[in-house]
Amino acid sequence: MTIVPGLQEHDDTGIAEFAAESVVILDRHGKVRYWNPAAERLFGWPALAARGTSITKFSSAPADEKRAWTQLLQEGSWQGRVGRCTPDGNIVFADVRRHQRYGAAGEHRDVIEFARPATDAGNPHAHGGAVPDGMMAASWRIDISPASATIAEIAERADVAGEDEMGRLHHHLVEIARIVEVNERTARLVGGNRGRALMTGQSVAAFWPVGSRGILAELILEALDDKNGGVCRRQLASDGILRDPVVSVWRAGSEQLGHLFIAVYGEADDDRSYPFLRASEARYRNLIDYMPIALWQVDASHMGKIYAGLKAQGIVDFERYLEQHPELAELAATSVPVTDVNRSAIELVGGAGVQDLIRPVGYLFAESPASLRRIMIGRFTGLKNHSEFMKLRTLDDRALDVRLSVTYPEPLLELDTTIFSLEDVTDRLRMEAQLRQLQADFSHAARVSMLGELASSIAHEVNQPLAAIVTNAETSLRWLARDTPDVGKVAQLTARIAANARRADDIVQRARDMAVKQAPEPVELAFNEIIQESLLFVRHEVETRSIRVTTSFARNLPPVIGDRIQLQQVIVNMLINAVQAVECGEENDRDIAIATGTDEKGNLLFTLRDRGPGIAADHVYHIFDSFFTTKPQGMGIGLAICQSIVVAHGGEVSASNRPGGGAEFRVVLPRAGGHAVVGRLTGNAPRSFVPHPPNAA
Amino acid sequence: MLELPTVAIVDDDEAVREALGDLLMVSGLTCHTFAGAAAFLAAWTECHFDCLVTDIRMPGMTGIELVERLHDEGAKLPVIILSSVLDQQTRAHALSLGVHAWFTKPVSDEQLLGAITIAIENNSGPGG
Repeated sequence: MTIVPGLQEHDDTGIAEFAAESVVILDRHGKVRYWNPAAERLFGWPALAARGTSITKFSSAPADEKRAWTQLLQEGSWQGRVGRCTPDGNIVFADVRRHQRYGAAGEHRDVIEFARPATDAGNPHAHGGAVPDGMMAASWRIDISPASATIAEIAERADVAGEDEMGRLHHHLVEIARIVEVNERTARLVGGNRGRALMTGQSVAAFWPVGSRGILAELILEALDDKNGGVCRRQLASDGILRDPVVSVWRAGSEQLGHLFIAVYGEADDDRSYPFLRASEARYRNLIDYMPIALWQVDASHMGKIYAGLKAQGIVDFERYLEQHPELAELAATSVPVTDVNRSAIELVGGAGVQDLIRPVGYLFAESPASLRRIMIGRFTGLKNHSEFMKLRTLDDRALDVRLSVTYPEPLLELDTTIFSLEDVTDRLRMEAQLRQLQADFSHAARVSMLGELASSIAHEVNQPLAAIVTNAETSLRWLARDTPDVGKVAQLTARIAANARRADDIVQRARDMAVKQAPEPVELAFNEIIQESLLFVRHEVETRSIRVTTSFARNLPPVIGDRIQLQQVIVNMLINAVQAVECGEENDRDIAIATGTDEKGNLLFTLRDRGPGIAADHVYHIFDSFFTTKPQGMGIGLAICQSIVVAHGGEVSASNRPGGGAEFRVVLPRAGGHAVVGRLTGNAPRSFVPHPPNAA
Repeated sequence: MLELPTVAIVDDDEAVREALGDLLMVSGLTCHTFAGAAAFLAAWTECHFDCLVTDIRMPGMTGIELVERLHDEGAKLPVIILSSVLDQQTRAHALSLGVHAWFTKPVSDEQLLGAITIAIENNSGPGG
């Protein structure tokens, strides 16, 4: 049988983890390779501290230990009693069995040691059974070498500094201290769902409860001062994580100056059992990890402190402050860490794994730095959340349109985590743009078809001024041909020619605007003017059919945002329908009444009433459907297009029969002020800052 | 002939009316302009006209309706139609009703004046 050494050890340790007996694996030189929780309990040293240390160092009688080791190497196994120093300076006696293990090739692989407390030594921890969670230390290995300047300052100022200054220095020390390694329990208790690996290299303060950072700093200083490398211990108040925890701190040893071990003992301060918690946490973690929404967990706690400082200085207009201090946004981009992401997030930004995304948030805002500033402003002003559309450049260099939602931390909760959720709306926006293009194509087609219906009217209208021009010009020539040319008369005729040419040009221009295919251009428009211009299109149709058009224009109408040509199209289309409805009726009934006004909400209202036959009962609900028509030559797109244009302008259109006969059409358009219309018409998603999005739950 | 021939012009478009009026005036004709068929008919009962120039597409009574009316009444008044209507059926219908000439706008002064001259001469011939 071939044994892969690594795998073998992994299996060993997996089982040993749950053993009630102390299990230690040593290499052939006696250095600790593995140290199970029962060993932690029995000998007091956390695995973190024990690993890599020669077993002789723990021995209360090194000479005896040496002899025992020699015997083991000679005989393959050894059994006996050993004494080991605990971190607090006591000696624990244990009965141990050691066995040498060999690899497949017969080479010496390692030594496995089983130990039980010596039953007659009155060991306080002498009881069997598995090691309960509460008995396992949450252990840390930290590096305080980056804090040497602070430590020196503390020593210098020890006698003169006030309590406040000392407190600040202590907190600073904990902030500068870095995590080298933590065990599973620490990661579970304070690491959130970041995992052990991600805690490495981070500030100790990022994970250590705020309330006891001062005490930790004191313990660190005490441990550094202890010439013997002894253990400094302190009981803490329950902090919501552990109940009455005891913290021990000691130096790692001379070969790693600046490294310290911390062990925290205590039972989880929660009535629920650990397996329950773990299952629950796993459930939530899975839930969040597999959520289809891309999520980022961000730790902007230090920015919160900066904001508090700025507020204390009396800064109120943070937007202006940010403009004047762009370096603050830069600081946020480069120093606010992403602490966790889910699968969708990795997928969205095209990273290879979690590690690609766990870094300062700046990469999310490379394409739209203004978004980051708005997020900062939202936090500063104390919003609960913020949402906007922005451009995102992914890690694999795709340009996406995303909807960003930010949930800010609640001010009174200690956990300072901000959640970003990003939704890829690129496809949606693209589809919307395509739909808008289709709608524009259709409305253009409908416009051209409408112009076709008006062609003979338009030709007639253009022809009149042309006829006048020709006749006036020829008359002028006749005046000029006389023996005494009448200059006054010629001048009058020439003025008429110019006026008629202008008139013809206006008509042609109007028709051409209708015929040209162009992107809708939302501008602020006077609604009454649109109606008056629309009436010009059908003037001839109306006049030659002896139709009376009465108009009632409301004064002081609010402006409307929209595309002039499209809105004209709607009105002209409705007018043509009305003309066709009344032209077959009695001459006395050929009435069309147009009115503008506002509805009860202050929106613009346009009504068109005719005295025609009205709308057949079964047609009332279909007249705005595409391809619905009652006309033999009609395509049935006119009113459907009218509706889609009005809807694109954020309004609505309706049709009904009038009690006295005839039909009534109503168009309601929102008054200027709704930016959404602009977006819908032009295809640009609104980029406006939306302070309170509808519940982003 | 002691009096200058008088021509009636019916067109709903003021610019066209003015232009035609000036042209006839410089050519030595007297003319009266009317904005619609109804106004002309009202004046016709009292005034003498030697020729009528009318548009077709007009609000109220159209030019064709006016021609039909004159035809029904057996009026001898020569009619010249000056219109932008291109419909051949309408044109044939008008000519069948005895319309003297049909011009499409814009018309040249020589054509129009020529037609008016011929119409007046024919009319003032044997019947007087």
